[in-house]
Amino acid sequence: MNMKVKILRKKNPGSESYWETFAYNGPENNSIAGVLDYLNYHDDPVNVQGKVSDRITWECSCLQGECGACAMVINGVPALACETFLRDLKGSEIVLQPLRKFPVVCDLAVDRSSMQENLKKTNAYIGDYIPSPGEDHTHQYNAAKCLKCGLCLEVCPNYVNGNTFYGAAFANDCYLIYARNKDKAGDIRKVYGEHFAAGCSKSLSCVDVCPVGIPTLASMAKLNR
Amino acid sequence: MNEHGKILIIGSGIAGMSCAVRCAELGLHVQMVSPYPSERSQSVMASGGINAVLGLPGEDDTIASHIEDTLKGGSYLGGEKAVTGLCESASDIIAWLEKIGTVFSRDSSGTVSRRAFGGQSHKRTCYCGAATGKQIVTALVMECREMEVKGLVERLTGRHFYSALIEDGKCYGALLFNQNTNTLETVYANALIMATGGQNALFGKTTGSTLCDGYAIGQLFRQGAELKNLEFIQFHPTTLETSQKKMMITEAVRGEGGRLFYELDGKRIWFMEDKYGPNGNLMTRDIVAREISAAPSQVYLDISFLDPDIIDTRLSEVRDLCAKYRNIDIKKEPIPVTPSVHFFMGGLAVHMNHETNIRNLFAIGECASMYHGANRLGGNSLLSAIHSARITAEALSECSFPDTVPDFSAYTEAQKKKLTSFTNTESNFPVSYIRDMTAEIMQKHMGIIRDDDSLNKGLEEIDYCMKISSHLKFDSSVNTYLNYSMESILILAKATLLAARARCESRGAHWRSDFPDTDPSQQYADIISYDNGAYSIRLDREHEYES
Ligand SMILES: Cc1cc2nc3c(=O)[nH]c(=O)nc-3n(C[C@H](O)[C@H](O)[C@H](O)COP(=O)(O)OP(=O)(O)OC[C@H]3O[C@@H](n4cnc5c(N)ncnc54)[C@H](O)[C@@H]3O)c2cc1C
Repeated sequence: MNMKVKILRKKNPGSESYWETFAYNGPENNSIAGVLDYLNYHDDPVNVQGKVSDRITWECSCLQGECGACAMVINGVPALACETFLRDLKGSEIVLQPLRKFPVVCDLAVDRSSMQENLKKTNAYIGDYIPSPGEDHTHQYNAAKCLKCGLCLEVCPNYVNGNTFYGAAFANDCYLIYARNKDKAGDIRKVYGEHFAAGCSKSLSCVDVCPVGIPTLASMAKLNR
Repeated sequence: MNEHGKILIIGSGIAGMSCAVRCAELGLHVQMVSPYPSERSQSVMASGGINAVLGLPGEDDTIASHIEDTLKGGSYLGGEKAVTGLCESASDIIAWLEKIGTVFSRDSSGTVSRRAFGGQSHKRTCYCGAATGKQIVTALVMECREMEVKGLVERLTGRHFYSALIEDGKCYGALLFNQNTNTLETVYANALIMATGGQNALFGKTTGSTLCDGYAIGQLFRQGAELKNLEFIQFHPTTLETSQKKMMITEAVRGEGGRLFYELDGKRIWFMEDKYGPNGNLMTRDIVAREISAAPSQVYLDISFLDPDIIDTRLSEVRDLCAKYRNIDIKKEPIPVTPSVHFFMGGLAVHMNHETNIRNLFAIGECASMYHGANRLGGNSLLSAIHSARITAEALSECSFPDTVPDFSAYTEAQKKKLTSFTNTESNFPVSYIRDMTAEIMQKHMGIIRDDDSLNKGLEEIDYCMKISSHLKFDSSVNTYLNYSMESILILAKATLLAARARCESRGAHWRSDFPDTDPSQQYADIISYDNGAYSIRLDREHEYES
């Protein structure tokens, strides 16, 4: 398979970003994660100008869609690299960029710590679980699957890193807390109102992009009730 | 004396977080270190469940039976006292996980659902759908967050373990490598707790996470910590291979009637049924893994004959995994399967309170070797990750800590200088080649079936890698951690091969074709230690680690 892989790179948080293109001649059944490994380790990475380059930095852990580490923008579409396959991409060039809503650490690796910080700032934790009649366990289970990958924030028209709107990942954690500990329902709905409901324009792009299919709309409906 | 001890935990998977929470509840101040947040830890991948005898009315399962299954599964190398403690605490652990908000699956009576798992006499594996580990991690992250808000737990991300601060057999904290600033940081603590998971990087492609590389325990081994039972490595018999990893295909496929075969001269050979009878496909993990690895050609797992509705309802995850990663329609075609390294029974040797042979250095979760003996039962590792965390926290809460610490400035300065002078060198030889070579050697010589000749060959080849590695300069094309971790990973690889060579018998997950029988005189854990390049192995005949 002959493809070009064009990557938006950056050596460290303080340096300028630049594009670099590599030729990919590896297996055609690879995922983008597989392509990155191939470029990095099949041989020394040589760019299309014939110059040996640094290996491409990206984050990975489980390599099977369960940890959210490898979220990036692939041909303009935010997705997990381990779950995006060459066979599903059109054209002979793949363009890879880091998530744009977070500060870049290096190449395709970004700093998503603001997601955790926002939850911390708003006391978003369950405390003690209080069982209640008619609980929707299936929806709670789905909300608890959130990978904190940041894809929902990447596509959200309302989310800006550092602002007071915290996005879908926050809303789903709020729902889980609300559903599991009714004693916190009041407090959690308040922060949900301030940091989600007030700023959400309901584009619902977060629902389509979520790699584990969390029905955020259902979380919103339950919290807005 | 300092009443409120300061605890440093390395690793933020289920073991690390459980320990952080329990320490904080007991009034200890915790710093928890990991390169990435807990959502990236291998713990999120645990799917099947966590074992516990819940002691509900009318139940015929007993704690005694859980203890016996665990000891038997581990070929009687897991200490009886430790295993008893593990199984006795299990129902409390499930109650605690429920209390902190874990979303368990429930049966029609509202009780936590339990399923049957291999090697167990009763249905006692509590589960959360197909994502038990992930659901527990979510609840624990919330619980940790509460402790963070209260100022009792501080998370330090973006850091890797570098080395421990050890003097006269006592540990006083650690040096951490900060990957954002590229510098070493000194963190003093009254106790250092390792919760760094398994040793996947030794084998390259495994079922687990790339973040579990074994560096930390290799480094501590070099600093005097003893390791135990390294040769006992569990292989999952059926995994689907991709260019980057081996994905676990659950035993449920064989449970639903899945049949294993290979092809010879265009004919399907149902080798498990031929050898073990009609239920041959349901043999235990180690037997199936061994038979698959001995097969003359690619082995397949066929479930295509099953009613498609049953596949959709009971095996949907396998259906989706095969379709997504290999474009295989399991309703129409068989799944090519291969065994893979899956779990490490060996690790840091710990006493009953999870302290290593170095005072104030503890180990918990998969990086510690304690409960699983020569083989682990599915569902017991999540249990032991939490149990070991709680035991450790409780032991620490009873300690009083000295205020004074030795002066480590000479050591830390020397390490900083060493790292700086290393990073200032430049090599064209990629350190990743050594990593790949190590994995290849280990896959080949530390596989499912071992023998003296092959292990010796493996040792020769690892020695060769160590020789190259000792001359290696800095490979600036990858990060600093990948560079500095290589040497300790190689030392761990060598220790593992030595442990396998020394155990001249077959037991649990360790199969020697030149010693196919179990030798009762070797029914002891083995301990390996390191001193300036010299490795010594002994059997723990006095049960010194069961105290
Ligand atoms: C596919 C799969 C399915 C499984 N299913 C089950 C199951 O159903 N039931 C069961 O009981 N067990 C199961 N297991 C095993 C179980 O998941 C693990 O044993 C358990 O999660 C280990 O938890 P831990 O906290 O010890 O380690 P991990 O979750 O691996 O966490 C290790 C932590 O240490 C950090 N770390 C590693 N090295 C360093 C370093 N040098 N510096 C700083 N931090 C470091 C990592 O980043 C991570 O935060 C499964 C395993 C796999 C791979």
